[in-house]
Amino acid sequence: MTYEKFLRILVEWQYELNSYISSTIRSLNDENSLSVFLSILFVSFVYGAVHAAGPGHGKALVAFYFTSNKSDYKKAFQMGYMISIIHAISALIFTFGIFFILKTMFRQNFNNFSQIAMQISAVMIMCVGLYLIYEAYKSRKDKDKIVKKVQKSMVVVAFSAGVVPCPGVMTIVLFCIVLQQFILGVLAAVAMSIGMGLTISLAGILSIAINKKTSGKLREKRYILEIVGALLVFTLGLFLFLSSSDLR
Amino acid sequence: MKKVFVYLFLFISFIQAHPHTFIDVYPTLHVEGSKIVKIHIKWKMDDMSSAMLIMEFDTNSDGKIDEKENDYIYKNYFVSLSKYHFYMDIIVKNEIVTLPNPKNFKASIEENRVCYSFDIDKKYEVKGTKFDFYDKDFFVAMILKKEFVKVNNKVAKITGEDKDFYYMYRMELR
Repeated sequence: MTYEKFLRILVEWQYELNSYISSTIRSLNDENSLSVFLSILFVSFVYGAVHAAGPGHGKALVAFYFTSNKSDYKKAFQMGYMISIIHAISALIFTFGIFFILKTMFRQNFNNFSQIAMQISAVMIMCVGLYLIYEAYKSRKDKDKIVKKVQKSMVVVAFSAGVVPCPGVMTIVLFCIVLQQFILGVLAAVAMSIGMGLTISLAGILSIAINKKTSGKLREKRYILEIVGALLVFTLGLFLFLSSSDLR
Repeated sequence: MKKVFVYLFLFISFIQAHPHTFIDVYPTLHVEGSKIVKIHIKWKMDDMSSAMLIMEFDTNSDGKIDEKENDYIYKNYFVSLSKYHFYMDIIVKNEIVTLPNPKNFKASIEENRVCYSFDIDKKYEVKGTKFDFYDKDFFVAMILKKEFVKVNNKVAKITGEDKDFYYMYRMELR
């Protein structure tokens, strides 16, 4: 299957899931509440997993990060879920904040705040890239010594990727707020973020698997792969920074 | 290898992408002889995105878009979409032609969904004309189904076109 066909399937699934979630939330009433409530959470989880499979959401960042790092699969899950937790918190703060404090111009305020968050995220990603380049170069002879130090940058990477609120999550939360379903809004954001975390983790796992395979072949020259991964992290931050000035 | 880098950079540049809004496209075409003489396009945004937009558009909360609100939407939202070619291209004999400025813009709310409708005031030959609906940034997914199209005397053929990092629907008349 080509990437484009994969994209078509993703669009069609998201279209159906989006429509299912909105119509089901509207159909919530006292008689069907629990079963419908749970089905919305489950579909939100699936929607999150499918949604994050498309371009964006820090998968490239996570993949490049693990290219420049010696890690195990557990770390990929940790990273994915750290991003999803931050993603959910960020989306909830932005949505509730804009809705209840600023009250009007939701879309314009959302664009303005997203732009600022994206620029902060981009600068952080570039800093992580530079840090990884430095560590990879410094440790070209004895890399095991710095493994622990580099792992700390995981939190920074997770924060950088997660701090930009996902418009998809925010839209669901806002929709629930408008329909006075506040608890459902919070839980749907969490369910969707967990789904996204799963997909992001898979990007990390794939990168670690490739890293393990290639590091055996590269042996002493492994630091070159680490520097390439770190450069890609930096480039990603740079592109994000440049593109953040053209938000819709 | 070159392809890998091209894809990589396209991937990076689309970091904000993946559709967040879904728009159903309802084209109505009127054919006279060998020409398409009237083109009316209607967009229906998805329920969730509409809820967000209604908060801003329907300032008097009467569930309708009045003239003043319509002007606000036109000036502040619709006009700015010109840089995205209003999410469509018209292709004549395999060349993209300049899209005329949409006329008769009208925003409305139908079954909780925000709708935009407008006319394309130009005539095109039926033969060799294609209509593509897409957002190259992939922030919006334009959805076109056969049952959304209304046309007299001709049959609309809808196909999907795979592009790099976005998906596009194409309509042509037979």
